[in-house]
Amino acid sequence: MISLAGRDILHSWGKFVLTGAGLGLLIGVTLSMAGVYRGMVDDAQALLDNSRADLWVVQKDTLGPYAEPSSLPEDSERPIRGMRGVAQAAGVTYLTMQIAHGDADVRVMVVGAEMGEPGLPGQPTHLISGRQIVRGHYEAVADLKTGFAVGDRVKVRRNSYTIVGLTSRMVSSGGDPMLFLSLKDAQAAQFQKDSDAIVRQRARTAANPQLNPPGNPAVAQAVNAVQSGNTNVNAVLVSIARDADPDAVAATIRRWQRLTVYTRAEMEEILVEKLIANSAKQIAMFLVILSIVSAAIVAFIIYTMTIGKIREIAVLKLIGTRNRTISWMILQQALGLGLIGFIVGKIAASLWAPFFPKYVLLLPADSALGFVAVMLICTLASVLAIQAAIKVDPAEAIGG
Amino acid sequence: MAEGITLENVVKTYGKGETAVHALRGVDMAVAKGEVVGLIGPSGSGKSTLLKCLGAVIEPTSGKMTIGDRCIYDNGWKVRDLRALRRDMIGFIFQAPYLIPFLDVTDNVALLPMLARKPNAVARKQARDLLDALGVGHRAAAMPSQLSGGEQQRVAIARALINRPPVILADEPTAPLDGQRAVAVAGLLNDMARQFDTAIIIVTHDEKIIPTFKRLYNIRDGRTVEDVTAPNA
Repeated sequence: MISLAGRDILHSWGKFVLTGAGLGLLIGVTLSMAGVYRGMVDDAQALLDNSRADLWVVQKDTLGPYAEPSSLPEDSERPIRGMRGVAQAAGVTYLTMQIAHGDADVRVMVVGAEMGEPGLPGQPTHLISGRQIVRGHYEAVADLKTGFAVGDRVKVRRNSYTIVGLTSRMVSSGGDPMLFLSLKDAQAAQFQKDSDAIVRQRARTAANPQLNPPGNPAVAQAVNAVQSGNTNVNAVLVSIARDADPDAVAATIRRWQRLTVYTRAEMEEILVEKLIANSAKQIAMFLVILSIVSAAIVAFIIYTMTIGKIREIAVLKLIGTRNRTISWMILQQALGLGLIGFIVGKIAASLWAPFFPKYVLLLPADSALGFVAVMLICTLASVLAIQAAIKVDPAEAIGG
Repeated sequence: MAEGITLENVVKTYGKGETAVHALRGVDMAVAKGEVVGLIGPSGSGKSTLLKCLGAVIEPTSGKMTIGDRCIYDNGWKVRDLRALRRDMIGFIFQAPYLIPFLDVTDNVALLPMLARKPNAVARKQARDLLDALGVGHRAAAMPSQLSGGEQQRVAIARALINRPPVILADEPTAPLDGQRAVAVAGLLNDMARQFDTAIIIVTHDEKIIPTFKRLYNIRDGRTVEDVTAPNA
């Protein structure tokens, strides 16, 4: 038996291909939405992977440093470094800000990392050109996505920094590219007050007799020195020794340092299930709506195509074609349309993914799931048309 | 002559009670194999209803219908699979050819044997032979939209004949054709009826082809079927 659906598709291939292409663009948008979500998760995981940390020590009772503000003294890392099971510990600061690049602004996450010894947690990884920061001040490593080049000079707050190296895929959980500075520079950028604020602070101190006792100017000087600087960090990143149990080390830090400690799994949960949860729900809603719209479009197209062939269907039934043969023809056409749509959608999503401002990750598993969903939607969408075809009376082929 | 199709007191009533419409009030008819008869009558006389009953598309209310020596209806259907009955025992020719637009000429004709699970190659060979016999073999690879009206109707006739049914029902087959072509198609049907030993019933209003029938049935108000001899036969 010949394939009636195949012949119909070949006969009016232009209509099928154009309709499939239209549907494909919709499927492409759906796949891209899924890719945006996967990209967000991947950004979050890249952030954790690239930090080279096993534990995140943050201000007590906060979800810091990525989901909530966290501040703890810089020297918190010293006692941690000496604990059993800890291989390395380093303070780190994070600050998301806009910095100028030519005529435009670039949104970056400024990361302050300890550069004392190579391989410390928090230091930039995936260096693709240039070198690491080796000087104490005024050097920076930027992610490729910032658009900076080695040798460029960028201004962060009051100071200028020379880009000495470029990384790839070093992004925040929000997808902003990272700009690495030495910890001291980053602390200055994050906490240092501007000149006017310092002047006003000094005036307030001088006017306060408790902070500026008569005859003892050293007290006021000491107060001003404390207020104008800040040596806090947002978190201490800890890498543990090879045979150590992360949970046990985390429990020890919690007990003895009275700080909040997150393991990799806990931090992943914070990033994926708390920080991007709303975005994920938003995307899920879009996926549901797009799926419904796709189903409605396929149903409408297949139904219209079927209604346009009522006379032929009546003739087919009159000459003895079974309902199941006609139903199979309609189902095959719906699936054919879905197949064309999926191929166009997959190609379109792959082509436009690099142009999205955020990372779009198209996983083969998602594509496979999308294909199954498209076929399922097309099957469901053909039900209406099949019902219409089954109801066609063969007597309609006979006039009168 | 062997009987192609026989109808005895076939009644068809739509609805019930006071609103009932008596479309057929007792039709008797007999057409032998190899014979072509015309079925004429004014609009609303019951021609289409009779054609649908003959075509096993609607069920008569009562009566008896026999194709060849097989009783297909006797106050109820006597065959379980009406689709198979239509496919194997009844050929249809319509007012318009109603060829399947996405199948080429050969496959339009070969579709029926394919539906009867004949191998595609065998069905196509059979279709091409028939198309040759009907003078449209040279258009076997064409699509229906590439054919003239006359060629399309010949292909439709080939489709009706392909399974060698004992009966062919033709519903105004010459309506879209001009006089010369209409007479040619009527002549072709006469030839095919003899060649394939098939009973052909042609419902028509076309006065040009009425003289080509040896016998005519005239139906009025579904009440009687009158067997008359065509004046110029």
